Amino acid sequence: MTTLIVIAVIAVILIAIGVGIYNQLVALKNRYQNGFAQIEVQLKRRYDLIPNLVETVKGYMAHEKQTLEAVIEARNRASSGLAAAASDPGNPAAMKQLGAAEGVLGGAMGRLLALSEAYPDLKASQNMQQLTEELTSTENKVSFARQAFNDAVTAYNTYRQSFPAILLAATFGHATDASLLEFDSQAIAEAPKVSFA
Amino acid sequence: MSTRFFENQEAARRNTTRLVVLFGCAVVGIVALLYGLAVVLTGQPQTDAYGQVVGAEFSYWQPELLVQVGLATLAVVAGGSLFKIAQLRGGGAVVAESLGGQLIPSDTRDPDARKLLNVVEEMAIASGTPTPPVYLLVDEAGINAFAAGFTPSDAVIGVTRGCVQQLTRDELQGVIAHEFSHILSGDMRLNIRLMGAIHGILLIGIIGYFLLRSSMFSGGRRNSKDNSGAFMVAAGLGLMIIGFMGTFFGNLIKASVSRQREFLADASAVQFTRNPEGIAGALKKIGGFEAGSILQSPSAPQASHLFFGQGLRGGLQSLFATHPPLDERIRRLDPSFQPDGAAGDRITGPLAAGAAGVAGAAGLAGAAANPQVRRTLDARPRGAAMDQVGDPTAAHLDYAASLIASLPPAVVAASHEPHAARALIYALLINRDSATKKKQLDQIGRFEEADIAGVTQQLLRDVERVDSRARLPLIDMALPALQRLSARQYAAFKTHVQALVEADSRIDLFEWTLHRVLLAHLSPHFERTATRARHHVSLDRLVAECGLVLSVLARLGSPGEQAIAEAFDRGVAQLGGPRPRLLGAEACGLAALDPALGRLAHADARGTEHLLRACAACIAADGIVSEAQGELMRAIADSLGAPMPPLLPGQRLL
Repeated sequence: MTTLIVIAVIAVILIAIGVGIYNQLVALKNRYQNGFAQIEVQLKRRYDLIPNLVETVKGYMAHEKQTLEAVIEARNRASSGLAAAASDPGNPAAMKQLGAAEGVLGGAMGRLLALSEAYPDLKASQNMQQLTEELTSTENKVSFARQAFNDAVTAYNTYRQSFPAILLAATFGHATDASLLEFDSQAIAEAPKVSFA
Repeated sequence: MSTRFFENQEAARRNTTRLVVLFGCAVVGIVALLYGLAVVLTGQPQTDAYGQVVGAEFSYWQPELLVQVGLATLAVVAGGSLFKIAQLRGGGAVVAESLGGQLIPSDTRDPDARKLLNVVEEMAIASGTPTPPVYLLVDEAGINAFAAGFTPSDAVIGVTRGCVQQLTRDELQGVIAHEFSHILSGDMRLNIRLMGAIHGILLIGIIGYFLLRSSMFSGGRRNSKDNSGAFMVAAGLGLMIIGFMGTFFGNLIKASVSRQREFLADASAVQFTRNPEGIAGALKKIGGFEAGSILQSPSAPQASHLFFGQGLRGGLQSLFATHPPLDERIRRLDPSFQPDGAAGDRITGPLAAGAAGVAGAAGLAGAAANPQVRRTLDARPRGAAMDQVGDPTAAHLDYAASLIASLPPAVVAASHEPHAARALIYALLINRDSATKKKQLDQIGRFEEADIAGVTQQLLRDVERVDSRARLPLIDMALPALQRLSARQYAAFKTHVQALVEADSRIDLFEWTLHRVLLAHLSPHFERTATRARHHVSLDRLVAECGLVLSVLARLGSPGEQAIAEAFDRGVAQLGGPRPRLLGAEACGLAALDPALGRLAHADARGTEHLLRACAACIAADGIVSEAQGELMRAIADSLGAPMPPLLPGQRLL
């Protein structure tokens, strides 16, 4: 009887630890998913602003059709990348795709804004000033939200890999690390170089 | 006269006692049943491998067995309950997420979600609580909503998709007001304990289910002579049946505690919105709506008592319903209500909407005839603020709406978004005095947060135009956004707030208040170490702390030593028992106030009420309540866990 009780007590403790791990994994996953929702709001805002910007710029920069088209193209691609990523935040493929699309979009936007420097009328237009201001502030919000998301992802990954969570994580459906969202800065860094070439 | 808030707190405590008693009865009943099962199972003649009977003799009274069964049952039930409660300690967010809720980002641009968040925000400001995060139950088509959490600062509100899609703004307001009533009346804490208790009982049935399943699966491998398989099946089946009966007890407990609270919350919702049609309309829509208020989530049964409407199918009219019947609830709000037809027609189209308007007007007139609702229709715009702690009125809701409308749009937008919300708090902390202001702006420029200085500068112009009475509500509005910071971002934010507060090497009243309110509501979210208030210490054991708080208040508001002593005495007169002594000016720093308030938060409901009345009397001793004093009063009430609605223009404090 005593052994039975001891076994039962140990079993209960083990189950409690297991359920605790499960709950913690779920909580941390929820946290980074909420974090992604925050990025999503800001990115959507940005994707809504870009067509307005292109519309405004069009009248002044008739000769830069290619650049404008590239921006719209990149924006559409990033927008669909966001939709895919939002359905499964932390998924490595989706994060990578969104990161790359954002990088391309950042590059295209950089080129567009650099080109617009050459048009004093455009720069002076109030609409343009307002739009660039709003885009910049959205940009900052995106990077801030991205930082929060990446922090949450890191917390999840760290917990997932720690002992004893690592023993059970795969069984509970947390087999892989979530992926950070990094925007491909290569493309952004290139932007000014291209515009001055 | 005792305000309803403190009465409700007491009632919640009594209900907890009742819960414990009922729970004890349930456990005793279950032990008895399990003992019976064990007697039957062990008493049967058992054969060994050679076919010889080795069974124990059959006896109804086996004390040793009873002790064993009792201990095992207690261990399972207590373990299950404590475990669930520990899990729910995470607060309302854990409950919302376990029900499949998704957090609505506070800066969402979806129009339906925005409307909902605006309604919640107005309610929060009107009732003096931090704005709770709102979760959307995406997969639930029925119309339902819930509030969960231990305290107002970790409370969340959840609504179903059906609720957002089907209800008008007025109806939504009614539903949210109902949920706020649960937050303010201390029902949430009780509800969470209830979830824990029921989980423990449920566990017995679950164990039975697993026993049954495992014995059925392994049954084929067994030797036919060995009847331990049959034994396991019988034990599993017995446990399952007893487990179901346990659920029956559980539902009885839930129903007994929960139904009366629903009427109360409905009545409070009417008082809060001065609009019985809103909540009655929502209830009618549930009645006329195909999906009703039924929930699909597998976790719904344990949480059914949290919801606005009956969440589980069946048992609607029975003893075990967690909610009173819809018709009865509607009739209490709208005595002219005819159960048949009206409910069904409501949802069909624009014609119905017109008819609803007429019915609504009739409802208002009719409701006035109902004593429970009539009392609440009287909006009491000029009652004393102290009597409205945790008991806000429609006047507060109007005030909150106009307050938000008066804020510059950029400031409102900033309060909804984590990046800018930090800048907003910094801007609020920047001193009007230009020397300090320059110093603080330099400081912000050095913060390692990209672009924060620019955003703060921009907001500063708008923030300086903000009415000083809107400053505390702004903090309440910004809390959901600030909770979205990551741990690292929060740590940086906290240090920066501290630095800005200390910039002018003296802490003024508003800075202290802001710091206090901000940390009181954010630290439980980020720092697990925060201890929960116990709420049962008598004021007699907190005399020194009372003395400090009253001394600080008296010294802040009164000019001469004589006036200070008089203000202090007026405060002490309200304490009802303890007689602290006035402290000298040197002992009355705001820094000393923090730990004292931390200890006072453990005072019981009566003590808290006496202390708040004493504070109010002390502040109002000279007949003037400055805005700073009003804010301080709210910060103190907030620290003591008593949500105090904003002071209406021209309103008496006591």
